[in-house]
Amino acid sequence: MELGVGIMSPAEVEFLAEKELVTIFPNFSHGKIYLISGDVGPFVPSLPVQVPLWLAVNLKQRQKCRLLPLDWMNKDVLEEKKQEEYNNKFFTAMPSPHYREITQLLMSIAPMDIPHAEDIQTLIKDIWDIRMAKLRSSIDAFIKGEETHAKLDHLTLMEINTVRPLLTNTLNKLYQLRQVSSFGTSESQEW
Amino acid sequence: MSYTPSSGRRTNYSSRSMEEYFSMDDILATEVRIPCRFQLPVYKLGSLNPSSQSPDLLPGTKLELPLWLAQALQSRHIVNVELPKSYRETYREILSADATMVDLHDLGPYFYHIGLYLLNFPYADTEEISKMLTQTFKNRFRKVMDASQHTLQEETSSWTFRLDMLEVELFNIGQKAFLEFQEWQARKMEKICTSGMVINHKKRKRAAMDNIV
Repeated sequence: MELGVGIMSPAEVEFLAEKELVTIFPNFSHGKIYLISGDVGPFVPSLPVQVPLWLAVNLKQRQKCRLLPLDWMNKDVLEEKKQEEYNNKFFTAMPSPHYREITQLLMSIAPMDIPHAEDIQTLIKDIWDIRMAKLRSSIDAFIKGEETHAKLDHLTLMEINTVRPLLTNTLNKLYQLRQVSSFGTSESQEW
Repeated sequence: MSYTPSSGRRTNYSSRSMEEYFSMDDILATEVRIPCRFQLPVYKLGSLNPSSQSPDLLPGTKLELPLWLAQALQSRHIVNVELPKSYRETYREILSADATMVDLHDLGPYFYHIGLYLLNFPYADTEEISKMLTQTFKNRFRKVMDASQHTLQEETSSWTFRLDMLEVELFNIGQKAFLEFQEWQARKMEKICTSGMVINHKKRKRAAMDNIV
């Protein structure tokens, strides 16, 4: 079986996350920018404007703007979320489908713009760990229980991406084992 | 590594698909010797049996033959293939007690692969073997998955030395995704690094230069 086909790398997932919108305060003025994905701007110094994450990253790196932290990038909200995730047997809805990637990106480029940046990063990692542990247990239950389908709500792309190659290949192998098994037994009876 | 008989017609197990013909795992797996008992006399090949002086192989002689040969001879009713030790009831009981503790690399290392081949032989307990194979795989999967999701490159061998080759393959797939994620998290993929070929090339060049001097 050839590996590496159809598997996304974390960098590609991050690329998708960069389409999410964030609010920035520019420190320059510029007219509207017309992009394929939509118009951005106009930029007026100190007036909030919504831009895609990739643009925010670029502007921030050139020190052309200040970031407004996202609503959920807040210690209390995340503490609550973590508790909820911990108490709930199933996956809970995340504030953003790309929470992990966005946190990672913003923390690396603009930790000064986010209050309690360190704590938030730790909280996001904790939530991630809880969710991954849940994911692994449910995969194990899925394999052991000979289920044919599973429904997992609120999983994010990055989470799915870390287990996808292993899960699909395992199911393939299991299918082969089972198919040959049933084939083998029926044949031996014919003997 | 795959064993996929076409479901429609009754596959003759001595004819394997092209995919398996070129599969390195399949070649290695079918090298494994399994005990066979000869049903017909085989003339002039007595030298294969070191324990007898007779020039011919007599019916009833017990020899261990590679799986690929045993298959072909079995289909011509020249030999009768016996069940290898690790698939017999004693081992099945051990595996059903706690599959995660068994060293499948020691029993195999192509335990599942050969198990699937064995299902094609007319054993009395084919059904139990097939059940045992799937059950063992399922019970051991959690361990393989967990290990693959938290093992760094350097520690790999400490986990894989007790796994079957099929499990090793899955372990590597899982670990690859995990390591990629780790790299992304450490922001390592932003840097462009020298390819291994170039590094080695320089070394080789240097070694060649040293020889000249």
